[in-house]
Amino acid sequence: MSDGQDRQDGGAPLEIEVEGLRKTFGRREVLKGLSFGVPRGGFLSIFGPNGAGKTTTLRVLATLLTASAGTVKVAGHDVREDPMPVRRAIGLISHNAMLYPDLTAQENLRFYADMYGLTDADERISDLLERLELSARRYDVVRTYSKGMRQRLAIARAVLHRPRVLLLDEPHSGLDPRAVDILDGLLAEIRDEHTFVMVTHNIAKGLEWGTKLMIIEGGRIAYEHAAGVDHDAFSAVYREHVHDGSVL
Amino acid sequence: MGGWAQFKAIVRKDLIRELRTRDMLVSMILFVILAMIIFHYAFTVEEGSDLTWFTGGMLWVTFIFAMLLGLNRSFAQEKDERCLDGLLLCPVDRVTIFLAKTAGNLVFLLIIQAVAVPVFALFFIERSFLGDLLPFLVVLLLADLGICSLGTLLATISMNTRSRDLLLPILFLPLIVPVLIAATGATTLIFAEGTGFGSLAMRMLFLLGFDAVFLVAAWGTYDFAIGE
Repeated sequence: MSDGQDRQDGGAPLEIEVEGLRKTFGRREVLKGLSFGVPRGGFLSIFGPNGAGKTTTLRVLATLLTASAGTVKVAGHDVREDPMPVRRAIGLISHNAMLYPDLTAQENLRFYADMYGLTDADERISDLLERLELSARRYDVVRTYSKGMRQRLAIARAVLHRPRVLLLDEPHSGLDPRAVDILDGLLAEIRDEHTFVMVTHNIAKGLEWGTKLMIIEGGRIAYEHAAGVDHDAFSAVYREHVHDGSVL
Repeated sequence: MGGWAQFKAIVRKDLIRELRTRDMLVSMILFVILAMIIFHYAFTVEEGSDLTWFTGGMLWVTFIFAMLLGLNRSFAQEKDERCLDGLLLCPVDRVTIFLAKTAGNLVFLLIIQAVAVPVFALFFIERSFLGDLLPFLVVLLLADLGICSLGTLLATISMNTRSRDLLLPILFLPLIVPVLIAATGATTLIFAEGTGFGSLAMRMLFLLGFDAVFLVAAWGTYDFAIGE
């Protein structure tokens, strides 16, 4: 096949293709040959214990880490050979906000809008701040925000440039119930237009959103299944594959 | 997306942040003023001692150590809340990041120098060098560009290490010696004798060459330096 977008998974072309992904830090091999695909519009939920390689996988997809071996394509572009279109196509929401604490919400979003070359930056920023209930605090420096408010602003930063693919690294971590509701509401709103990969310890959330479920353990895929597994059954599978894992 | 717009966005962001917090500027200005006071008492042993031939050295050693303070802080803020990840996720050429960070550091160093040089002149320079201001400014800019381009590259390399506070001076100080020698020589000549571009040409060319070498080196290596 000539292009990643030609490949199909259940009818839809693949938005994310990973073949034989390996990642080594020094002598330690963290990823040991992962292969998977996510169709356009799909939602892959990745579970696994700490240190399994989940976040490393996400950071390779986000072009923040370079694969030691294997090929990774996002939105039809090789992340190593052609990273710029990949960066335009992705948004990353992590438990780290990636916001400058000494800038205001408006200044942070304006900075990222300029970096992505948005032509409708002012309207887009106002719209997102309104939807995320941050308009009243838009001119306050982020250092004065609560954890939940920072995370909401981080969501605005991640979706500001209208990415096709959203990478979520423990997005519900540390959020208060109100912020969880806002995040879930926003995800529901944009669910149909995006492809998602979410790394999470929260099995309930992973099952709720995922169209495809995956457990990574020791840098390998230990389990892969289409959605439709109930919580108890998946928890049992998780315990079977991850000996020290606690499930939520 | 134009690299120029991204360059401006990064510089503007760094300037807004610094002017709001004054983290770097206050510590650098305090350091420079205190260093000059210490030099003043350390070298003025006898009334009427002629310090003219030490002036260039005193000035540039002070600026280089002040810049070390600033360089450590300029990348520490990018590590806060993993802002560097946010920057690296943007579709921006890594060289644009280097040039913008270098430009930001250059602005901060020039602000320090705008405060420090008049104070230094008051303490140590007996003759007026206003007539030689243009060659002095050219030397200042060329040396500053070398200090900031090398400093930005090395601060980037060291920021991901556990011992970055130690690694940066260990890498930076030996490599900046050529700039120190050329800038010190040129500045001392200006302060002591008042000299035109003619007798400073070789030193200026040397500084220009150093700047070019490290700008090109950063051009080729910055993607790797700022990566993993």
